[in-house]
Amino acid sequence: MTRVDIAADLNSEDETGFVWTFLDEAEDPSVIRPGEVVVAGSPLTPAVCEVIDLVDKPVGTIVHLRVLPGTIEQYRRLLARVGV
Amino acid sequence: MSTDGREELRRRVRVDEAPPADAAVVIRGGPDTLSLLSAHARRLHRAFVLDGEPVFGVSVFVALDDLGPASERGILSGKLRTYPSIYRCTAGELSDRGLTLLPTFVRPHYTIVLPNLGAVDALATALGRLLPNPYAEA
Repeated sequence: MTRVDIAADLNSEDETGFVWTFLDEAEDPSVIRPGEVVVAGSPLTPAVCEVIDLVDKPVGTIVHLRVLPGTIEQYRRLLARVGV
Repeated sequence: MSTDGREELRRRVRVDEAPPADAAVVIRGGPDTLSLLSAHARRLHRAFVLDGEPVFGVSVFVALDDLGPASERGILSGKLRTYPSIYRCTAGELSDRGLTLLPTFVRPHYTIVLPNLGAVDALATALGRLLPNPYAEA
């Protein structure tokens, strides 16, 4: 089962059209920075995502995520192919 | 905004949109567990109130058009392309179980409003069995 950097429901979008979740749901919040590529979702539904921004709100810091094309397995095959 | 800082979800409801027909197709990427559905419902609860009251809800997409990004194919090959598996039911199957579809945020996103957190059982039943997404990325 895949460990995700940040728990999220990838079905869940807000007014930005991006997926949203809370920063404190991250395994290591220091990883969650704009432009960073992370694995988000759940262990059952992981996906590679780009962190768009972090928005401070009274209820907590909201993280917006863009789901990137490709599966984790495709990224794994890519890295193996180029020898990383 | 509520006194505890939660945002009013009603402000994010698309008011000029007719309710989906009972036959409208509702789609959600999966798989889910009751625990996951509860976690997602609690996340909405933490961020929003509805008409000033606490709210639990889970996100779905509704096929609103025959073609394009808000069609069933468009949703499956677009927003849900990373999901090899999906749930598919109808708006009528949700309302039969006392679950309300609210057109929230950007079309074709909807929030299924749960009367309480225990209603995730009814939601899971309404969503039905897991199906393959024929348009998922390999």
